[in-house]
Amino acid sequence: MSAVPLAARELAIARGSRTLAQGVELELRRGEVVALLGPNGAGKSTLLATLAGLLEPAAGRVERGGRVAAALQAPALARRSVRANVEAALAWWGVPRDQRRERALTALRALRVEQLAERPAAALSGGEARRVHLARGLALQPDALLLDEPFAGLDAPTRAELLHDASTLLRAPERATLLVVHDRAEAWALADRVAVLLDGELVSGPTAELLEQPPTAALAGFLGFSGELREADGASVRLRPGHVVADPAGPLAGRVTHRIPEEDGLLCELELEDERGLLQLRLPHPGPAAGELVRVRIDGGVRIAAGAR
Amino acid sequence: MDALFDGLGDAFRLIVHGDRDLIATTLRTLRIGVEATLLAALLGLPLGCLLGLRRFRGRGVLLTLANAGMRTPPVVLGLLLWVALWPDSRWGGGPLAGLGWIYTLDAVILAQTLLALPIVIALTAAAVQAVPAALLDQARAFGASPWQTALLALREARIGVVAALLTALGTAMAAVGAILVVGTSLGNATLATAALTNWEMGGQNAAAVAYGTVLLGIFLVLAAALTRLQHRRTWAAQT
Repeated sequence: MSAVPLAARELAIARGSRTLAQGVELELRRGEVVALLGPNGAGKSTLLATLAGLLEPAAGRVERGGRVAAALQAPALARRSVRANVEAALAWWGVPRDQRRERALTALRALRVEQLAERPAAALSGGEARRVHLARGLALQPDALLLDEPFAGLDAPTRAELLHDASTLLRAPERATLLVVHDRAEAWALADRVAVLLDGELVSGPTAELLEQPPTAALAGFLGFSGELREADGASVRLRPGHVVADPAGPLAGRVTHRIPEEDGLLCELELEDERGLLQLRLPHPGPAAGELVRVRIDGGVRIAAGAR
Repeated sequence: MDALFDGLGDAFRLIVHGDRDLIATTLRTLRIGVEATLLAALLGLPLGCLLGLRRFRGRGVLLTLANAGMRTPPVVLGLLLWVALWPDSRWGGGPLAGLGWIYTLDAVILAQTLLALPIVIALTAAAVQAVPAALLDQARAFGASPWQTALLALREARIGVVAALLTALGTAMAAVGAILVVGTSLGNATLATAALTNWEMGGQNAAAVAYGTVLLGIFLVLAAALTRLQHRRTWAAQT
């Protein structure tokens, strides 16, 4: 049993004649969960489909050390009962007929949708369909499970519930799991490692390391480091709103250029004096008015050396 | 109008009394129509899936041919088959002369199958094309083979597929022109449609209406059975 059930080597992916990424190196190891992040159109779903064998690589190769199953983005269910849908997937996977029913019900039970087993799939809500879709993937017990945005299109409470359940279910010592997400919070909650597909390149690393210390300005920008503090040597410090703290004795001062009211406060954009950059920070309501001077100090962030993209 | 009412009266009497000729001709018509449709389904469903689900060079041409084939005039097809099946003689024989099928029920089945085949192909291709691609991609991502994917597409498109079979059956059973050409010497082994035409031409309008009524009845029963199959809920609930 290979410890690496799925790997990409010098992989290039394409949609039609358009190459979306190249030189992709990725190893999925048993027992780990990897989150794949990237902006819209970066090629995340294409990469997943290529890894799953649904698309041919434009270059390079995909190495499979086990069986790979992919739950694609749309929870496409046939016009049959929920149980029949899961059993059909098991049939395609090659599971003997006498084992299908029990495995289907076990997976539905794990996702807390066993009571929907005999319901027509067309009658499911979005959240229920997502759970059934995930149950199908888990029921197959593949060596590598690829999930394309398993939480897409769900309202906040439904998403939070599914995320909570998935954080336990996706962990299995014998299985490698790759999931495409577009929310960093999902990556934090689920993944041991994160891979970011940006500008045709894949960068990966341990979740905390990559999300907190992105190596390039472009990556930092994508990962929510929206503020920039320019330094004299040409380097810059990229900052999330949480890294900027309002402090009347702080060393930096900036004027409020934008105010965006949010649930828990006000997101303010500051233009620093001496053209040192733009920062974002959160302040309690009602917050400063536009044009008002605010003093701040920096608590965190990532320093990007001059010349690093 | 008299002929119509006489015919309806005759039909009622023939059915009630279980007329031997009527039963034999009816069963033969039914058997030949169903056999031809089954043969067309056996060939046409996989070909329809292939044309509907796969992309390859020449697909458009084949789809065009299938669509055009749906309107093949039965008499033209009958004549082509007649030439193809014509036995060896001093004027030469057709390419299928070796089969020895001219003026046999086999020739009739062949004619009806060839009339039904493009219908099954074209309408099946159209039906499976309407199945969401995401569903079929998902099946492949869970390990479904091309055959399993095609089967899934047929199940999902069952309303359209059964409509295709129903149309093919209707065409096969109603095709008179081809039958008259390739099966004209069948004598008492003829089919209801051919008998109906011959009698109408011979002035036996009442008997023609009787056979026509029975033929319509048969087709109504078959259509009802297939429609029931088309909309059966339990099928949808099975694996």
